[in-house]
Amino acid sequence: MTTDVDVLIIGAGASGAAFAWSMADTRMRILCLEQGDWMNPADYPSTRRDWEVRMDREFSPNPNLRRRPEDYPINDGDSPISVLNFNGVGGSTILYAAHFPRPHPSDFRVRSLDGVADDWPIDYATLESYYALNDRQMGVAGLAGDPAYPPHEPPLPPVPLGLAGETMGRGFNALGWHWWPSDTAIATRDYEGRAACVNLGPCKAGCAQGAKSSADITYWPMARRAGVQLRTRCRVREILVDENDRATGVVYYDEHGVEQLQRAEVVVLACNGVGTPRLLLNSKSARFPEGLANRSGLVGKNLMLHPWGMVRGTFDAPLDSQRGPLSCSILSQQFYETDRSRGFVRGYNMQVTRGLGPVATARIGVARGDIPWGEGHHEAFARRYGRQIGVGICCEDLPEESNTVTLDPALTDSNGIPAPKITYRLAENTERMLRHGMARGIEVMQAAGAWDIYSDGPVRQTGWHLLGTARMGEDPQRSVVNAWGRSHDVKNLFIIDGSVFVTSGGVNPTPTIQAVALYVADEMKRRLANLFD
Amino acid sequence: MNTDRADTAESPQLLTSEQRAILDLVLNLIVPPSADGRMPGAAEVGVLAYLLAEAQDALPVLRQELDELDRRSRERSSRGFAALEAAERKLLIESMRAPAPSFMSRLAAETLACYYQHDRVLEGLGMEARPPYPKGYQVAQGDLSLLDPVRARGKIYRDAP
Repeated sequence: MTTDVDVLIIGAGASGAAFAWSMADTRMRILCLEQGDWMNPADYPSTRRDWEVRMDREFSPNPNLRRRPEDYPINDGDSPISVLNFNGVGGSTILYAAHFPRPHPSDFRVRSLDGVADDWPIDYATLESYYALNDRQMGVAGLAGDPAYPPHEPPLPPVPLGLAGETMGRGFNALGWHWWPSDTAIATRDYEGRAACVNLGPCKAGCAQGAKSSADITYWPMARRAGVQLRTRCRVREILVDENDRATGVVYYDEHGVEQLQRAEVVVLACNGVGTPRLLLNSKSARFPEGLANRSGLVGKNLMLHPWGMVRGTFDAPLDSQRGPLSCSILSQQFYETDRSRGFVRGYNMQVTRGLGPVATARIGVARGDIPWGEGHHEAFARRYGRQIGVGICCEDLPEESNTVTLDPALTDSNGIPAPKITYRLAENTERMLRHGMARGIEVMQAAGAWDIYSDGPVRQTGWHLLGTARMGEDPQRSVVNAWGRSHDVKNLFIIDGSVFVTSGGVNPTPTIQAVALYVADEMKRRLANLFD
Repeated sequence: MNTDRADTAESPQLLTSEQRAILDLVLNLIVPPSADGRMPGAAEVGVLAYLLAEAQDALPVLRQELDELDRRSRERSSRGFAALEAAERKLLIESMRAPAPSFMSRLAAETLACYYQHDRVLEGLGMEARPPYPKGYQVAQGDLSLLDPVRARGKIYRDAP
């Protein structure tokens, strides 16, 4: 048995790191268990010539392809979208694009404004100061004054537009549509001991420069200096609970595969929208036969994945589009707010992405028939490489109880722990939104001058955003945790990751995941005297 | 990245001499040398060594496909694939890929990965043959005055109750 702790955090990703740092000032005994390990930036693909190939292998965002020892398999056969993640200190921020837009105030009030889904029990104003704090702690770049948002000022200047960003900006202007340099979690200047971005390109394979704001190099060094313990290669099997419905600790496997018991006064789940319901469903007991904290029956339900459309255009002029942060440039929120005349409610974000590397350009071009075998190969490649730009369509995904994370009856991880199974369909509203978004993506490509345009959606390998599977709310029958992340059923169990999202908005969720984690930490600190009442 | 040395050392054990000859012809059908000599053909960049190092699981299917190509060639013209004229080789492969696009698609994908990482190819494209880190790249900051019309249109988000 190990030494008891006051607060046990499970998962060292975006939310666990922010929460740990915030709680450190309580001087409580805080321990985080992480199933992955520390990453060595010298190993990231951009340090090697074969960086494009390694991105698809040991640095693939799909754990079923990556298959590192610390990964768990995910049965995604009953979903058109594969779940993506990373298991290590920093979690999925190791491989995320660092595209960091906030949601809109309306995203927290979809029932009141649009008559669909449910309102959040908290709102944008509640989280606003936490967004700003998180921007400073992570190091976020952007340009103040975006008319799509309430005023806010990113602490660092925006990533460069490059010729590609300018080209698309002119396209949006020609249509009279909104666009703006994206908020990005990238140090565009030297920041808090981190070196500035030098435009390596493949941010989504880890940043060897340390300019991308992954949680392992932002929150974790501060949290550890403040006394938080972080134990890696420790995979939690189940959370234990006593006869009074109190969590007492966890059982986990250490780096040698040896079963360990860790007792704690408070247990905090930060395992993402798939890992958290998996662990709760694996923690069955006489008191909780359907899974821990699941008396509502909603653990694992309402999975939202942000279905993604992709439009790619090729331009005549050389744009050097393959240079710069791959997925961070500009965005458009022209179609973000509800306009029922479009045939759907809610909306989507348009995320302009840069060109691909030479291997990906050639492989996709040949697979599509745009670049031939043999005669004409070199000419066709030259007409595309460095001249392509993408527009991603990130659709708001409304909660559906039929979209679920359950336990696979046969599949397990290397410790024999049942693996998650995904069951997911796009709702009709989302299908309409996706078609609308791809059509608008084609329109802006045409306005910007692209001569060859194609689109695809939903794109399978895009399930980064794992949301909604342990939603927050005031009603214990309709939610898993309360407005400040505490389980309705287990008073010393908290959830702080994307599971608690009531609705998904239409933007990358990491700023909100971290703002919620910081908010929950403050609420816990404020209520320490009667935290379990 | 240059895999030529390993190619010559290992290839005899991987494929028969006939298969190797057919492979070189196929590789140059996928990516031929450029007419100006700036870009090498795919047969010149060490694809077999690359397969050995990075994609060994592709080799059994590759052997079958090379043999099938030769068999179909003999069936049609009584000559092995290597004895065909260049135009005949191209037509034969096209006729086999048309009903079955997966035929040699793995070889093509791995060939392109090998080819577009090779020093000679990157230099032929006018690029430095180096990894992105540590030097990185220059990207123009861009003209932010393009945002003036966006600013002028004003607020587009909804207030929430």
